[in-house]
Amino acid sequence: MDAPGRRFATASSFALLEHTRNRFALVLVVFYIPFWLTMEHWFVASAPTGFLLRATGRHLTVDGNRLTMVSGALNAVTLIVGFMMFMTTFKSLAFDRRLVLAGYPRICLLVAKVGAMLLAAALISAYATAVICWYWDPVRPWLLMAGVFTAGVGYGGIGILLGAFLRNELAGLFVIIMTSLLDTMLQNPISNPGATKGGVQFLPEYGPTQVSVAAGFSDATPYEHLLLGPVWFAAMWLLGTAAFHLRTRDHRPAAGRALSAAARP
Amino acid sequence: MAAPYAPPHALRVSAVHKSYGARRVLRGVSFDLGPGTLAGIVGENGAGKTTLLRILCGQTAADAGAVEHRGRLGYCPQETVLNDFLTVAQHLRYFQVAYGLSGLRRAEELMEELHFSEYRHSRVAVLSGGTRQKLNLTLALMHDPQVLLLDEPYQGFDWETYLRFWGVAARLRDRGCCIVVVSHLAWDTERLDRLYRLHDGVAARWQPGPGPAPGPAPGPGGG
Repeated sequence: MDAPGRRFATASSFALLEHTRNRFALVLVVFYIPFWLTMEHWFVASAPTGFLLRATGRHLTVDGNRLTMVSGALNAVTLIVGFMMFMTTFKSLAFDRRLVLAGYPRICLLVAKVGAMLLAAALISAYATAVICWYWDPVRPWLLMAGVFTAGVGYGGIGILLGAFLRNELAGLFVIIMTSLLDTMLQNPISNPGATKGGVQFLPEYGPTQVSVAAGFSDATPYEHLLLGPVWFAAMWLLGTAAFHLRTRDHRPAAGRALSAAARP
Repeated sequence: MAAPYAPPHALRVSAVHKSYGARRVLRGVSFDLGPGTLAGIVGENGAGKTTLLRILCGQTAADAGAVEHRGRLGYCPQETVLNDFLTVAQHLRYFQVAYGLSGLRRAEELMEELHFSEYRHSRVAVLSGGTRQKLNLTLALMHDPQVLLLDEPYQGFDWETYLRFWGVAARLRDRGCCIVVVSHLAWDTERLDRLYRLHDGVAARWQPGPGPAPGPAPGPGGG
């Protein structure tokens, strides 16, 4: 394998390993998702609930219990992926800076983290969708999984941004939890009967919620809304990457770096 | 008349200034060190030693002045900068790729010299402070640097490891490596070729006298 390939492969494998060794996140995935969705299935009434599917402009009348489970899956996945990416960014910032000063290309580290996040988000979304399918049959489960995945990806970007800027672990976790809870609550017509009001489309979970509800209860495929989660991710990732570049800058004069690089063993 | 021969410098620091807000930490630090020099920089807590070392390794920008080094640079930060999710071997692999090394021969030697080879497959999170510091040091040395910057490198070491550290440093110096050891202790100064004291933002050559050293107490674990 050539040097760039080796660098990328090494960074990717260790980025994935970090996620698998984040035991708290794993416990959340394995136990919190089914627990949360089961509680919602058990306690929330199956009353008919109106939902404005802006993607098609149609008003749907859906089972309130099932709608809440879709919201719950989005909430759980955004919390877990946001938390995972916050922790990995927050905890490894100084270590990554050391690697960069030792010669590791920033782009390899950044792309590896994103690759690991995409894989983790895909697996967690599949798991959450499987739990939903255990209780009822969404119209298109694959699209539901894609909607939940885009929500996780968007909050993964938010986690990276918070991890790059905040200097306090508790502050980061608090911001992720509160943002996700508020976002989910405002999208769900059961908790917010005025969810038909304009403005909710500017929240990170808007696109994923539209896709997930469309997948659960209709034949519509809102392609444009599928992109909103990744757009949120891209915006947050760019800001986080800018912070990463600033914090891992090599302040040695270019000549000194060149001399050092030329002397590599 | 021919100019007298001046050996090439390994590290040249010229009039480095650094302020944090109104606090002027470094007010024109200058010194030259040649290859094969083991130098110490001592100073009281808050004198700017860590700031100076971070400027020398490129982690922090100086407000004014210049730093020039020749050859591969190694830097061991004061705090152990490691990844708790990874094992010792995985750290070595990561830095092998970062430095572009073909093998880990030197890292293996250092692990033997510092007596922590048996922890190769242990996760860093479960290691003692001293063993973490040994790995911290090994990551700075494993690419055989020609200029080595060590910030309080023997924190948490027991006495035997402390002595082994100086053995490693002396061998590196004998192989032509320029080493800068920063400490708040003027301890074991006879092992150093040069000693500077950082005081009032300036580094001056210093010979410890019979009076009190800059630090509060000697010893490897003094921090």
